[in-house]
Amino acid sequence: MTIAGFILRNALRNKRRLTLTILSVSLSLFLFTTLQTALRELTQPPSTSDSALRLITRHRVSLANVLPEKYQYRIQQVPGVEVVSKFTWFGGIYQDEKNFFPQFAVEPEKIFRIFTEAKVDPLELDAFIKERTACIVGIKTMERFGWKIGDRITLRGTIWDCNPELVIRGVYREGIDETNLFFHHDYFNELMNDLGVTGTFWLRVRDEAAVQPVIDAIDASFRNSDAETKTETERAFQLGFVSMFGNIKMLIGSISTVIVFTMVLVTASTMSMAIRERMRELAVLKAIGFNGRQVFSLILAESFGLAMAGGLLGCVGAWALFSNIDVYKATQGFFIKFDVTPHILASGLLLAGLLGAISCIAPAWASIRMSVVTGLKETD
Amino acid sequence: MPSIPVTYNLRNIRVRWRTTIATVLGVALVVSVFVMVMALARGLKSTYVQTGDPRNLLVMRRGSTAESSSQIMREEMIRMKYLPGIARDAQDRPYFSPEIIVLIYLNRLDAQGGANVIVRGMGEMGLAVRPNIVLSEGRMFQSGRRECVVSRRVANRFANCLIGQSFRAGKAEWTVVGIFEAGKSAYESEIWADADEVRDAFNRNFYGSALIRPVDDAASAALVRRIESDRTLSARVLKETDYYKDQTKTAGPIQFMGGFLATIMSIGAAFSAMNTMYAAVGARTREIGTLRVLGFKRRSIYLSFLLESVLLAGLGGVIGCLMSLPLNGVATGTFSWTSFSEVAFEFRITPDLLGKGMMFALVMGVLGGLLPARMAARKPVLVALKT
Repeated sequence: MTIAGFILRNALRNKRRLTLTILSVSLSLFLFTTLQTALRELTQPPSTSDSALRLITRHRVSLANVLPEKYQYRIQQVPGVEVVSKFTWFGGIYQDEKNFFPQFAVEPEKIFRIFTEAKVDPLELDAFIKERTACIVGIKTMERFGWKIGDRITLRGTIWDCNPELVIRGVYREGIDETNLFFHHDYFNELMNDLGVTGTFWLRVRDEAAVQPVIDAIDASFRNSDAETKTETERAFQLGFVSMFGNIKMLIGSISTVIVFTMVLVTASTMSMAIRERMRELAVLKAIGFNGRQVFSLILAESFGLAMAGGLLGCVGAWALFSNIDVYKATQGFFIKFDVTPHILASGLLLAGLLGAISCIAPAWASIRMSVVTGLKETD
Repeated sequence: MPSIPVTYNLRNIRVRWRTTIATVLGVALVVSVFVMVMALARGLKSTYVQTGDPRNLLVMRRGSTAESSSQIMREEMIRMKYLPGIARDAQDRPYFSPEIIVLIYLNRLDAQGGANVIVRGMGEMGLAVRPNIVLSEGRMFQSGRRECVVSRRVANRFANCLIGQSFRAGKAEWTVVGIFEAGKSAYESEIWADADEVRDAFNRNFYGSALIRPVDDAASAALVRRIESDRTLSARVLKETDYYKDQTKTAGPIQFMGGFLATIMSIGAAFSAMNTMYAAVGARTREIGTLRVLGFKRRSIYLSFLLESVLLAGLGGVIGCLMSLPLNGVATGTFSWTSFSEVAFEFRITPDLLGKGMMFALVMGVLGGLLPARMAARKPVLVALKT
């Protein structure tokens, strides 16, 4: 019998225990993977090379304060600014409050020059730009409500006292959040009787070197005005949102720790059970010439293999599950994406490996220290 | 009622402490995670449930879902203020407060980022219509001045919010002159100032909402009808308490997370309990045989092993509950989409939550013990004795 065969036989001698242990390890690692992914989705907004060039100018006091529309002319003249669009959170209700998705009033001809990653059919984009009441919608929201191009929808305003009646003229996908709806800022203005305000400005700068100078120039230009501005990169803007959620990071972090700790306990106890019941055999192994180190590696290999089997099942299971279900629908829009990254997968498996090693140390050590004679006397 | 060798089970738990300790701790950790996450959701919910006075009416613009997005013009406010049915104080002033909400971004005290905080501008009767709120330090702001009072929790969580300090917001510099205590309500996350000063500093030519105290229930119903049927007002009237109760949905995701975590973790813990129990049954085959010879029925053996498993899990449950208790009352905060600002609240561990945690533990015990106990009960006496 080969060494590998010997280890396998040992692992399989109590199939029920093996199954239960692997299952409990895999459930723990499934949770670990899920939590880490959730944490990543919540705290690390996607960033692409394009997003580094996007800036947001908002009211200095808070996002809920609006800016005068006319600021656009001054922003546009700041050297390094390529394109600026008004960008207003509409926050309307489609049919029912539960059907939440983000809606923005924007400048149609500019918006996809800012969100350059998004893919849009040129004909659809053209149709969207030309028609005053047209809107363009992310593929996820299209699918969620089963909308088709040409459909008419009405949004009921909650923040703004108006109800835009829109016709869908295009779909965009990839690159940016695929749940947004964009419609004409001009149409919004018309409905609001030329209120002359915008929630924010989104702009794209020429290159990365221009980012900081543009930020400084814009904010300096509106200092001491009625509405001072705060300009920041898209990433800083999103992280600002994350920080508003409070210490969610700590919460998820501590839960993950508890899970890992529980896992070590459970596996360690199973391993010690498995080793204690074969003290005698281990003594026999030593009696026929295996030394302490070899016996230890046999135990280690078994424990490691067990933990890795659980780890693979849990981590890969999580990955397979989340890449096959529509997390956006399942969480009712709370998570837009739920990508189990290679990094998370690797850390889960690493954890499983460590777990296998740590959990067998104590029982293996005990069995190695024990003299052959005591071991042989063992009857249990 | 079959007799159960209870002492035998209890002694076993003690003798085989090494194998049982992992199971007990496993269950304990699951229960404590469940209780903690649910305590978070509870705390958040109860904050909203405890906000508002059931007698008060809140008027907003029709179509608005939050006070912060509602707009009511000054003329409309004045029209509503003197409607019949509104209670009056000793000086014959109606219990009516025109209010406006603005959000400002404040840095946290620990300097890790910041959050949106609600600044509520209110009329002179603002405090009078909220009798549950007490000013514990300093004094109330004076109308016509750029002064504000902050809640105790805002003072504790954000920079420049102690008495005598000041912060810039809108066009003005606001001096903190007092600190109020709002029990555990959502008002604990707010800063209050004079409504007209706030409107001026933030360039608002409108108010947001109005808070009214009617004379009695009949007057309340009449006021709702009167204001809602007035087409020129286009307003929506609801009980102040109902408005806040609706916001308990903020706790939804946290509650979902608690349930999700607890379910998956408890399945894992049930597996581990099952492992321990199978090992216990295997190691005690001879003892089982002996018990049978002594006259214990199969059913007794079955119940006794099930009981042992439930005892283990119950012990874990108790430890888990104890582990979570220190968290009770710890203050934290989260972001509310409805008000677009931070709401501060406390973890709340209630007896019924602990009860639920224990239920979870016991279910894990039963699930983990069911199959091993059946195996123990089915062992033939002779075979068992021979091993």
